Amino acid sequence: MSGPWGAFSTRQEEERKRTTPDRVLLRRLYEYSKPFRRNLAIGITAIIMSSITGLAAPYMHKVAIDQIIQPRDLSGFLWWLPLFILVVLSNYFLQYVQVYQMRIIGENVVSRIRDSIMERLQVISLRYFSEGEVGRILSRPVNDANTIRIFLRMGFTSILLDTSSILGTFIIMFTLNYRLAMLALFILPVAAIAVWFFGKYSRKAYRRALSTLAGLTAKMQEDLSGMKVIQAFVQEDSAKEAFGKKQDENVKANIRAILVSSSYQPMVILMRLIGTLVLLWYGTAFVKTGSITVGTLVAFIEYQFSYFMPLMDLIAVYDQYQSAMAATERLLDLIDTKEEVTDPAPEVAVVLE
Amino acid sequence: MSFAKPVLNYIDSLKPKKSFTQSVYAFKRLLRYHRKYVPFIATITVLAVLRSYLFTLEPMYTSLIIDKVIVAGNYDILVYYLMVIFLSGVGFGVTNFFISYVHGMMSQYIVRDIRSEYYSSLQSKSYSFYDSVQVGDLVSRATMDLQMVDGFLRTWIGTVLNAVFSVVAIFVIMNSISTPMTLASLIPMPFIFYFTTKLWVETMPLFRNMQLILGKLGAYIQQNILGMKTVRIFQKEMEVVDGFKKIEQRFVDTAISAGKIQSIYMPLSPAILTLGIAGVYVYSAYSIAALDSSLTIGDIILFARYMIRLTFPLRDLSMLLGTWINASAGLERVFEIIDAPRSVSDLPNAKNIAIKEGKLEFRNVTFGYAKKRPVLRNVSFVVMPGEKVAILGATGSGKSSLVYLVPRFYDVDSGSVLIDGVDVREFKLSSLRKQIGIVLQDVFLFSGTVRSNIAFGKPDASMEEIAKIARMARINEFVESLPEGYESMVGERGATLSGGQKQRITIARALLMDPKILIMDDSLSFVDSKTEKEIQSAIEEAMKGRTTLIIAQRLSTIKNADKILVMENGTIIEFGTHEELIARNGTYKRIYETQFLDRPLDEVVMEVRGS
Repeated sequence: MSGPWGAFSTRQEEERKRTTPDRVLLRRLYEYSKPFRRNLAIGITAIIMSSITGLAAPYMHKVAIDQIIQPRDLSGFLWWLPLFILVVLSNYFLQYVQVYQMRIIGENVVSRIRDSIMERLQVISLRYFSEGEVGRILSRPVNDANTIRIFLRMGFTSILLDTSSILGTFIIMFTLNYRLAMLALFILPVAAIAVWFFGKYSRKAYRRALSTLAGLTAKMQEDLSGMKVIQAFVQEDSAKEAFGKKQDENVKANIRAILVSSSYQPMVILMRLIGTLVLLWYGTAFVKTGSITVGTLVAFIEYQFSYFMPLMDLIAVYDQYQSAMAATERLLDLIDTKEEVTDPAPEVAVVLE
Repeated sequence: MSFAKPVLNYIDSLKPKKSFTQSVYAFKRLLRYHRKYVPFIATITVLAVLRSYLFTLEPMYTSLIIDKVIVAGNYDILVYYLMVIFLSGVGFGVTNFFISYVHGMMSQYIVRDIRSEYYSSLQSKSYSFYDSVQVGDLVSRATMDLQMVDGFLRTWIGTVLNAVFSVVAIFVIMNSISTPMTLASLIPMPFIFYFTTKLWVETMPLFRNMQLILGKLGAYIQQNILGMKTVRIFQKEMEVVDGFKKIEQRFVDTAISAGKIQSIYMPLSPAILTLGIAGVYVYSAYSIAALDSSLTIGDIILFARYMIRLTFPLRDLSMLLGTWINASAGLERVFEIIDAPRSVSDLPNAKNIAIKEGKLEFRNVTFGYAKKRPVLRNVSFVVMPGEKVAILGATGSGKSSLVYLVPRFYDVDSGSVLIDGVDVREFKLSSLRKQIGIVLQDVFLFSGTVRSNIAFGKPDASMEEIAKIARMARINEFVESLPEGYESMVGERGATLSGGQKQRITIARALLMDPKILIMDDSLSFVDSKTEKEIQSAIEEAMKGRTTLIIAQRLSTIKNADKILVMENGTIIEFGTHEELIARNGTYKRIYETQFLDRPLDEVVMEVRGS
């Protein structure tokens, strides 16, 4: 359940336009993951395979209903049951592998980036430290690295997993019955556009909330820096009142943003509901004419779950991706900062005795 | 290595059990903030019941369509069923919306309450607290950390209730169809409960350690950045980076072992539930085949689909863990500040007392920031009304501590500070501080106008009053030369003021209170001679008719004082008029003779004592 609050979050500084193209940033990120190529290969394989085993489960339900339970052919369980257990177990195993491997990659890549920032900080010009405040420099190896970490852990996995399960679902649905598949998918473009617009609108509300947060932060920063003066002049009450006002502004803007973000899930649910109704309306007719079985209809309804949520998540993950790219750019920016004072070439360097 | 050693030792000392009890404590304390919002919680609960009910309708009516429409061939009823599904879906969405909205609103209010308490607690912290913390860190606790808390607060009740109610609703409905099959479906539940608990218990300490290590990592980098010059001079770069990598490695190890536990347990619950579905199929197929059952094909599909649906609230529940870990770490950091002791507060019988004369007396005063390490030892002296006393001493001799005891920025450990014979602790803090003018060492101005800064302690002061005070503080000419005069903005977005100008505004700010007693920390040393003269004349004007304690940085200040107090290691070594002290032929005389007019006095004092 990725609500837009987290997914559509854009930190203020991220609104700055990026100048480095994504593919350059991604290549640089890949450089850092090179020592873990083996883990990456295992992880990606597991992700793709687990999407296949995940999709096999609803199909197995259809088979059980159509070929065993309805015709009362209990001997079918002899092959169905072991196969079903195998599918479930391998799906579990693949998920285990994928979560674990992606974690190894995510943590190690970020730690390597952090290490190289630390090395970099030791050699870049001291001027850098007086020009930028400590907080801003600090936020790179701490906050930016964390953004990338979260993306590599969750966002990257869900992009791969969602894409492959969506594609897989489409293939299965079209194979089962292409007419019903077309009907099931008709709501998709509408839903995608709705989610996209919603994201834009929610970003706006979120940005407003952020700017009041910035005001609150600045107020706090000032009051705490001048707390000795406030105490000396006994202005605690009026300072608290002014702080309360700033805070109320922030609370108000936040609640407005919550109002927007709270409508995200109901909207997605409504879209899917319309899809389900279409399926049931036409599906029952198709069953009547014998072009599909009851099992197929149930499978379609379940498959709707396995492509609808991932697709909406994918749209939402786009923001997480943007944040991660912005963070990567800032980090690489720091890593690529020129040293101003460097050792001369060995042949001209002088050693003082 | 040596740099990272304390951090590594700290990491090794982290106990999983302790982190568990801390987390429980933080949760209990957070619960108390919910008390004011019981109506919100009640609303969420009612809506959550409704939501769980609506949640069960779609699979139920889909099964009815299969049984009644498809199998029984009654197509007239299809539209009705579809309407029910549509309405229940819309109802589900609307309830969802309201739960999320009410929940989010409550979360905002609770965070506001915590933040207000945090802010109030900071207002009453003593000076020594602010000397030992970084403002940026305090701010980030109130913003970043509380955002983490918000992340947990905005869904937690809904998520927990949803898991409970959905499980109950689904099993109640299932039971109305077939008891034995419901019992069969219940088999996976204890396993799911067991593994989810195991996941929480095993990963919680690891996640908390990760948060703590990350905090230390940040502090390590910060220290490195702040001390970069020293690192470069002593060529310790490699050592710093190596130490960093060692701490970083601990973090990676912890994160990966947490990931391993998660990867084992997290996909387990859905897998167990899915296996349960196989059980449902097998059981139902046999009972249908045996023909002794009223089970329909729709019922079987309903059972299977309900089992699949159960995975959603259960998944949300296990994801709640992650948000709680972050929230509890944030809460701990906020509570840590709220709970830090406030050392100075009104005594129960404190009164508003007007200072009439302004006689100041220190009687056997001993004071220290840490117990058993006194900064002031048995200090006694008397300042008569209207007398000006200049205080001299090397850095760390206790002169700032001495003057800050008067407005009770700290309280004495023993002895007493008396104003007109009344112990300062008998005053109400507000009454005491309003009657004492204070010019601090750091010239801090608030963002706003020149006028609002001068009138900081007396916001209703008239323009005439302010202009008069500005003249006394020798800042009027400068202010009037600004295009917007007293309404000019200062601070980040306003006019840039020099240190000397700022200092005179802070003097004006103190004078506007028309205090009987004035305390000045005059340590702005590096200014040009014209500014020096102006500041000097402002200080002289300020001291007129007021009992003054001034920490002196200029010999001219000392010359204008009635008496001079020389401090060393927390005791008064000399106290008297200029002539008396010169005649004594002691420390003061040597300082005076050295005559380093343009150097900070405490440096000179150091030198003289050292020779």
